[in-house]
Amino acid sequence: MELLTELMQYIMNNQSELLALTVEHILLVIYGVVLAFIVGVPLAILAVKIPRLAPVILSVANILQNVPSLAMLAILMLYFGLGNTAVIIGLFFYSLLPIIRNTYVGLQEVSGSLLDAGKGVGMNSFQLLTKVQIPLSLPFIVAGLRVAAVIAVGVASIAPYIGGGGLGKEIVSGIAQRSDIKILAGAIPAALLAILADYLLGFVEKYTKKRTA
Amino acid sequence: MKKLTLLCTSLLLLVVLTACGGKDKETAAGGTFFEMGTQDYTDPKIIAYMVKELVEDQTDHEVNVTENIQASPLIITAMDKGDFDLATLYSGEVYNNHFDDDQVEYTTDPDKTLEQAQKLFDEKFNLKWFDSLGFENKYTIAITEDLAKKKNIETMTDLGKYAKDLTIGTDSAWIERGDDGYRAFQEHYDYSFKKANGLEISLMYEGLKLRELDAITAYSVDPEIKELNLRVLEDDKGFFPPSTASLVAREDTLKDYPELEEIINSLTDQINEEEMTQMIYEVDIEKQEPKDVAKKFLIEKGLLK
Amino acid sequence: MEFIRNYFEFWRDRYPSILEYAVQHLIMSALSLVIGILVTIPLAILLTRLKRNFLKSLVFNIANVFQTVPTIAMLALMIPILGIGMKPAVTAMFLYSLLPLLRNTYAGIQSIDSGIVDAAKGMGYNSFQSLIKVELPLAMPYIMSGIRVTSVYIISWVTMAAVIGAGGLGGLIISGIGFNDKNLIFTGTLLAIVLAVATDLLFARFEKSRNRTRRKTI
Repeated sequence: MELLTELMQYIMNNQSELLALTVEHILLVIYGVVLAFIVGVPLAILAVKIPRLAPVILSVANILQNVPSLAMLAILMLYFGLGNTAVIIGLFFYSLLPIIRNTYVGLQEVSGSLLDAGKGVGMNSFQLLTKVQIPLSLPFIVAGLRVAAVIAVGVASIAPYIGGGGLGKEIVSGIAQRSDIKILAGAIPAALLAILADYLLGFVEKYTKKRTA
Repeated sequence: MKKLTLLCTSLLLLVVLTACGGKDKETAAGGTFFEMGTQDYTDPKIIAYMVKELVEDQTDHEVNVTENIQASPLIITAMDKGDFDLATLYSGEVYNNHFDDDQVEYTTDPDKTLEQAQKLFDEKFNLKWFDSLGFENKYTIAITEDLAKKKNIETMTDLGKYAKDLTIGTDSAWIERGDDGYRAFQEHYDYSFKKANGLEISLMYEGLKLRELDAITAYSVDPEIKELNLRVLEDDKGFFPPSTASLVAREDTLKDYPELEEIINSLTDQINEEEMTQMIYEVDIEKQEPKDVAKKFLIEKGLLK
Repeated sequence: MEFIRNYFEFWRDRYPSILEYAVQHLIMSALSLVIGILVTIPLAILLTRLKRNFLKSLVFNIANVFQTVPTIAMLALMIPILGIGMKPAVTAMFLYSLLPLLRNTYAGIQSIDSGIVDAAKGMGYNSFQSLIKVELPLAMPYIMSGIRVTSVYIISWVTMAAVIGAGGLGGLIISGIGFNDKNLIFTGTLLAIVLAVATDLLFARFEKSRNRTRRKTI
């Protein structure tokens, strides 16, 4: 109980700083995930169009996903320097697999009869892609974004170890100073962000599902 | 579909625009920003805020402090790349695998260690390694006073008799370090612990308190040594290297802003071990902010009004 | 060439300790996975039997909250309660494993056609027999894919546990960062990837062979 009041007090006293860190955290996640979206969706399309490439693309994304986060950031720092750039690239790598895999599955789910119908109306393969396949696989793509965003919120928390920002700053300095209050003041908003991302994108997913159904 | 394209392009724009944005390059007074990095323990943080206070008091420049970088080699990499201008480093860093074996000569002599650090980091990384700030912060081995009394342990050699039943807590790097790490320690003192447990530095003391660790590689200035009533064992066979603290700056930055050099030199030999321990105590145990502790010290020393 | 020879020497010098890090990593991952399975499967079964939706969503929401706490914070917050080392690390990983395991097991049992369960009852199975002989085997593909996903996650997350003294491959990586030794970072990373990918493939093969035998028996 005492911890709770102390925590409330700490949050009240540092609210503007905590807010700034929260915003920074959100931006890190958005950049990482959006970059992965921009790169991942075309890669997934490529994997569907050229089936021989599919295992290569998926395995590379899978390997990237399994690189331990501390190692990923330490290695990226060597190339991209200190700070948020390396963190964003790291989040981008981690987001690739969920986005590529989901988009790939989504595009393949679009059944053959629909494609035939499209061809029947005289669509070329580009039109088929943009007018039939992508719109129909939107729920899958959004589901991929959702997984990616939740993971990214968590991974971004260790950004301060390589000079990045975000709520991890509170958590890491809380560990260094052995202050549970600080750790909680960083961890609770971070957890809320993950829940929020999960909820919001879950909502979008449901909406797109309804539209495509 | 149109909506989707619109969404994609606007997101792309957002990313590109903000990526180009970048931060301010000039202070309000027309000076520049110096970037200073600190490790995740407390003494470099306090020193960083001292430098910040002095620079902002005496010049138009400002200092951005980035705390909690995971390890000192990352700081050196960042300085090499130009991301940091300043940092606090310890002369023992010269034995931390930055140079080839034939370049560094391992010694426990403090002056020779500092000299090597000054020479080698300048040659390889173009960094100016200043003279000592006045305090040393080196690895030692500490155990609880209880254990020390019960088994009559005073030196690291004494500890050897019981080591096979003891777990030592240390920062992960020490286990793998070369000349001054656990491997070399086992050879030098001819004994091993039951287990060497690598963990975050701040958690070593937590482990001692919880009795999950029996010994730790403490840092000599840590206030917890007194706070938790620990005994620092005498390094009777002279294993651990000296490690005096110095400010380190990029030569390029110093060339452009020579006034910085003067400020750094004004801190030379100003802080002894006792003073540093007291300041760390105020931050780690009394939970004061490093910034405030640094300022108070500078005022007491008459370096700041 | 020089580089490869150096790396080879590095392994020759250090393979006993590298092996130890890897074994710690495997033990922690396996332990948290096993505890996770032992807790979630009965819990998921219980949830499918529950009539009250409120309790169901409560359990799922709690599991979901654990999932969202950043790993580093979760580990740090375990210390006041459980100390340092493997105990808090395994507990944290167990809490992370709850949601994926629970969700898959629950979905697996829910997916079973109620007609099949009725048929089992008609054959004189009681509720427990129906569970063991009919429902669980039918839900197995779901449960297995949950275990597969979770084990890969856990292997990757356990690397952070080195921060609180639990060892594992993360220890190799953190040592490498601190001691400025790229061989250590590279080796820790490589082994973590190999473990995760190998586990994934192993479970995939297992799933495949199960499917094949089942098809044969049908």
